[in-house]
Amino acid sequence: MVIESLGGDLFGTIPLGDIVLYLNPLHLFLFVTILLFTVLIAVSRTETQIEALFGSLEENEVKVGKKEFKQRRFLAIICGIATAGAMITGDLFNFTLFMALIGIVNIGIVSAVKQVSVLDSAYQYGLIAMMCGLPLFGGAAIILAATGTLSLFELQTLPLNAMVVFGALMMLVGVAGESGIAPFYASKAEMFRTPGSPFILIIHLSSLFIIVRFVEILLILIPVI
Amino acid sequence: MVVDIVPQFVPAFFQSMYVPVLYGGLIVAFIGLMGIAIEKRDIQILILTDLAGLAMLIIVAAVGTDLAEALVLPGLVVELAETLAISEILIAREMRKAEDARSFAPMPLNMDMEIMTTAPNFISLVLIGYGIFLSGFTGGAVAGGGIVLFALSRKIRGLPVVVIDGVGAISGISWCLWIIGFLLFFMMPQYWLLSLFLAAFGLLLKVASKMGLIGILMREEYGRR
Repeated sequence: MVIESLGGDLFGTIPLGDIVLYLNPLHLFLFVTILLFTVLIAVSRTETQIEALFGSLEENEVKVGKKEFKQRRFLAIICGIATAGAMITGDLFNFTLFMALIGIVNIGIVSAVKQVSVLDSAYQYGLIAMMCGLPLFGGAAIILAATGTLSLFELQTLPLNAMVVFGALMMLVGVAGESGIAPFYASKAEMFRTPGSPFILIIHLSSLFIIVRFVEILLILIPVI
Repeated sequence: MVVDIVPQFVPAFFQSMYVPVLYGGLIVAFIGLMGIAIEKRDIQILILTDLAGLAMLIIVAAVGTDLAEALVLPGLVVELAETLAISEILIAREMRKAEDARSFAPMPLNMDMEIMTTAPNFISLVLIGYGIFLSGFTGGAVAGGGIVLFALSRKIRGLPVVVIDGVGAISGISWCLWIIGFLLFFMMPQYWLLSLFLAAFGLLLKVASKMGLIGILMREEYGRR
């Protein structure tokens, strides 16, 4: 499918030698939205959870320490910027690297938690993210080997190629694992059960944006559908 | 393989090496994943996960262009950083681990209500049936409520409750259905009805099994005090 019919009218291209960036309304919208969320997260303070206790009228405050708060905010901002980069990029190479960055930053956001169950699921998610580095980078490498380029702007003009389809599907598995959607969600859902809400939410937000963007990339890479 | 994109001065022997190396990488990855599936100790799994990262490097390096080299470097760095981060998580978790067995849904409150003894089976059956009829998120909540009511009533009447530890896995797998429906909706719009039902029933199963998680949540909550 041609790029114009996917994301609206093409505003223009930014040719940087091998890498050709292009701007269209869909990408700009996604980019600006995720940046706005990142700004909101950067200026917000972490929540304090109030837990009601069973069988009494007392309550339990769960607070996040200053050091942990700063570390999480930093990682959440990095995660937001990486997601914004993945939204605007017109290059499979950059997309792969931003995806890997999001995966490792997500592990970092939850690694400072003190609950055993959350640490357990963070460990499982980290293993999945590591294993999915293989299909992510491997898929990009197979597409590169079959076409000689990773620029989406050039990939859309090429005819259908079985190796490109295989590489794109491998990348789908990789993206699903790195962002923790689909079959790997069960372990990631446990990670939200921890105080420090606005920073934890960026994990979920980035995976939502990434999957929308990757559907567009799939449509560009596999022209029959 | 597209041969015309390979420059003329590359020897035929090097070109013919790509496919064996690709298969070799995939076989290495398969062996690593088999090892992870068999192994039970956490630290061994972490070490074996590195094997999948190694296979990723083999597949990327098989391409052998400068762009592939640019993919190898971040791939290597990301693998190393993830290994370090996960081992940190593992250490933190082992330091905080405290295992003890708890009963299903421990309740400090007295739940001796009439509804729990008169017709709980019928009510939960009606709730589950109505939930399946509704489908989607609402249906999942209604059906999950029915399941929770059934389990609670069995506990209060003193009957044994079957605890399925893999309820979270059902949630993850049905989330898969939702994602497949979502992808199909964009990729093949002519199958919109199929993707709509995939999404609806995936979400139904997901939310209904999430309700089953409440028992586990309560156990954690009770054990913390």
